[in-house]
Amino acid sequence: MTLYGYAGKILRLDLSAQRAIEVDTADYRSWGGGHGLGSALFWDFCRNKTITDGRDPANVVVVTSSPLNGTLAPSAGRCEVVGVGLNTYPVHWYTRSNIGGRFGTMIRHAGYDAIVIEGKAPRPVWVDVRNRKVVFHDAADLWGTDTRTAQERIWQKIGVPRDVRTGWWNLNETAEEALDPATDQGRTTQRPAIMTIGPAGENQTCGGCLVHDAGNVAAVAGFGGVWGSKNLKAISVIGTGEIPVADATALLRARAIVKEKYTSNIEQPDFEAWSKIGKQPRLMAMVSPPTDQYRPQACQGCVSGCRARYSVGYGHETKCQVTSWYFAPSRRVARSAEELVEINLRAADAAQRSGLNTYFALTGLHWLEHLVEEGLLGPGKTIHSDLPWEKYGTLEFAEKLVHALSCREDIGADLADGWVQAAHKWGREEDLRTGDMAFSYWGQPEHGYDPRAEVEWGYGSILGDRDICEHCFNIIFTNITAAFAFAKPMRIGAEELVSIISEKLSPYAKNRPEVLDYSDENMYSENVAQLVRWHRHYTRFYKESALYCDLRWPDFYNTNTPDNRGATASEDAGEHVFWNAVTGDKLSFEDGIELGRRIWNLDNAIWTLQGRHRDMVKFAPFIYETKYEKGELFPFFMWPCRDADGTWVYRDLMGRSMDRQKFEDFKTSFYRLEGWDVASGWPTRATLEGLDLPEVAATLDAAGRLGKESSS
Amino acid sequence: MAPRNTDDPNGISRRRFVASMAATGCVAAASSGVLLADGRFVIPNAEGFLVVDTKKCQGCGSCMMACSLAHSGSASYTESRIQIMQDSFGNWPDDLFIAQCRQCQNAPCVEVCPTGANHVDEANGNVRRVDPEMCIGCRMCIQACPFTPARLQWDKDRRKSQKCDLCVDTPFLDEKGGPDGIQACVRVCPVKAIAFTREMPSQTLTDAAYQVNLRDWVWKRLGMTAE
Repeated sequence: MTLYGYAGKILRLDLSAQRAIEVDTADYRSWGGGHGLGSALFWDFCRNKTITDGRDPANVVVVTSSPLNGTLAPSAGRCEVVGVGLNTYPVHWYTRSNIGGRFGTMIRHAGYDAIVIEGKAPRPVWVDVRNRKVVFHDAADLWGTDTRTAQERIWQKIGVPRDVRTGWWNLNETAEEALDPATDQGRTTQRPAIMTIGPAGENQTCGGCLVHDAGNVAAVAGFGGVWGSKNLKAISVIGTGEIPVADATALLRARAIVKEKYTSNIEQPDFEAWSKIGKQPRLMAMVSPPTDQYRPQACQGCVSGCRARYSVGYGHETKCQVTSWYFAPSRRVARSAEELVEINLRAADAAQRSGLNTYFALTGLHWLEHLVEEGLLGPGKTIHSDLPWEKYGTLEFAEKLVHALSCREDIGADLADGWVQAAHKWGREEDLRTGDMAFSYWGQPEHGYDPRAEVEWGYGSILGDRDICEHCFNIIFTNITAAFAFAKPMRIGAEELVSIISEKLSPYAKNRPEVLDYSDENMYSENVAQLVRWHRHYTRFYKESALYCDLRWPDFYNTNTPDNRGATASEDAGEHVFWNAVTGDKLSFEDGIELGRRIWNLDNAIWTLQGRHRDMVKFAPFIYETKYEKGELFPFFMWPCRDADGTWVYRDLMGRSMDRQKFEDFKTSFYRLEGWDVASGWPTRATLEGLDLPEVAATLDAAGRLGKESSS
Repeated sequence: MAPRNTDDPNGISRRRFVASMAATGCVAAASSGVLLADGRFVIPNAEGFLVVDTKKCQGCGSCMMACSLAHSGSASYTESRIQIMQDSFGNWPDDLFIAQCRQCQNAPCVEVCPTGANHVDEANGNVRRVDPEMCIGCRMCIQACPFTPARLQWDKDRRKSQKCDLCVDTPFLDEKGGPDGIQACVRVCPVKAIAFTREMPSQTLTDAAYQVNLRDWVWKRLGMTAE
């Protein structure tokens, strides 16, 4: 029977024995793909789910694709990675990360839907996967190299032509180790997609990333450090297989609808359109491009590239925060706008090549500056550092800081095991109270969308396992704040906007615009709890399992359409439409939300086994004890709110703090809605069995961590 | 109006040309074309061509996916009739290359085919196509293609050659394809980096004439060069 949308096999890499084992994807079909598939595989193959350190050899890391990868589903080219991470506090939770580019697509052409990484290799290895042939290679000559060098050397070893114009290469003939010569392995013009670590991962730091191509990074979870602990330098995938699609005609038609109905016509575009899926390609960098000599660069299947490859030879494929992690200090020393751009893009390259997560810099650099200004950090200070702080802001300093953090040198020796952990080691707990160290949740830095204002972001993060980095509702802030800041037209008024969005919040909040009321009066309400539930479940399936891009989905509202309705949940080009066309399923949009709920509950079961309890679910003290008064970009933070008379307005939410007890009440409300024990936050048997997870309930029961059923 | 083979003697129509040559006994029929006494193989010009802007392409691969889906109903890079090759670390514009079939005027792939599988489809704008029923998998057409990479693909599972037919034979496309219809790659490209034209690009052994500038004021407004 054809398994539409799937390669059909899952690859287990037993690093300890250097053995490859295949599992049928059909056994995991009910989990869809991506995160859901990864959580199910983690559940089955991680023998000790109580581990709280990603470096434990028992840890299992799963790299997973989606049935939509490489199929033309619009902007669904991502790849998900799950496992116990290395970058949260006080516990390294079972967590997730996400990466774009070509890897998710190429896994499938190589014959697999997911790769399960188990055990620990006795010495550094890299793994070559070609058309379901798996070879473990000694990585002695790759260990210590940066991420670009590692990838280019592997391409060379595999026999990939160096020049993009060279053309077809035969998987049987050109590699050092040929595939089965008796079987025609086919030809390809494509380069193997390689996921690798750099020094930051090899040294098992919390900032270790998985890097693919020039600028695709799975960063926040610290999986690079986990790979380093497993002596795994890289995985290379290439193949000539094809993915069967259930209804290619419907798929092509829906894709055309996205272009023709939901996207602004590129010949006469609306440059200021309010939409996620319907935008023209535009560089999403936080600094100006160094030149106009560049192309937009997109993940596979994307409708709108957001990165770039330049003529100048640096900054390739880097976007968003990575392009500006060093912006604040560099702005003080750059002598021209051009120099400022070059410092930042080269600093980005330094981090990408070292495989270092730059999210620490969102607020971490401010903290380090604070320590220097206080006379606590520097040569001969309480916190000794030989870094050239007098050159802070220069490219030289950035490169030295990246090196120190990646190689556990200087202050990197302490920060490598976690920034909040280092704060405790250095006796700086007070900084988490004052906000001088703005790491909001689970030891991770504030994202720029403060929980005191953008509540769905903060709640989602603290109720889960990490900074969510899910911009589903954040687009509201982006659109209206930009309109206020730059005097652009307010394309959709507050009342219409919340009405349109709530139409798509089925099933929990359908046509309930009050769930989008971010006012002080509503921020702890059952309404917002329903919004957060929807968000958790939507993202677990559509964004992290179907692997739609965070920047392009959901498309709630869209000014390219006559009625301002976006593609999300629509019957002509909604998320489920593409899923069904590829897989042959008959999912409704709400079925996808329900599948997300199942995945979310399995995740919570794993966290529970790791020791999660509601008493741990707390923001950093500064969120409660100080007011949000300094925005990342603007001195205001606009969100829809409902006045006392019921009128919807866009209102500035700066200046408020979170109330501890009211947040506790909110948690109770959320747990009750989720069917979790309100005392512990643990899943209950009824909830798990209702999701067809009886074995999960049994495991929690055996561990003495099954939630008590509600008496009501 | 489709361009005509300007190399034809006197610029006359193919019909008149073939008729006159046949009358003199100077030609031999071969695979939709005629073989002249001087050894030249002449076939009617295709009535449509794909041109691309390699400086504009965003490398999303959507054209490749759409091509294989429209033709075979499955997603495959290897079987896409248009190939996008990229080096993530390369510098613009040399970081990416697009290889599409040129629908050559002389079409060596048609000339060399021993069975006539690779032929000129006169019912569909003279598109050079491979009839999979007639293809014996000898791969001579792939070897005959003078361009790198070869613009024909090898289907390893069906053991046949294939090539771009401008979407004449696209059972999974719910619109008419071909020179008088749509082409899946053109239709899907988010940035309009692929275009269909009836004007035959200059026939040289480089791709220069098939690589055009499709960037305009919009592209410039988006921050990228239109030069």
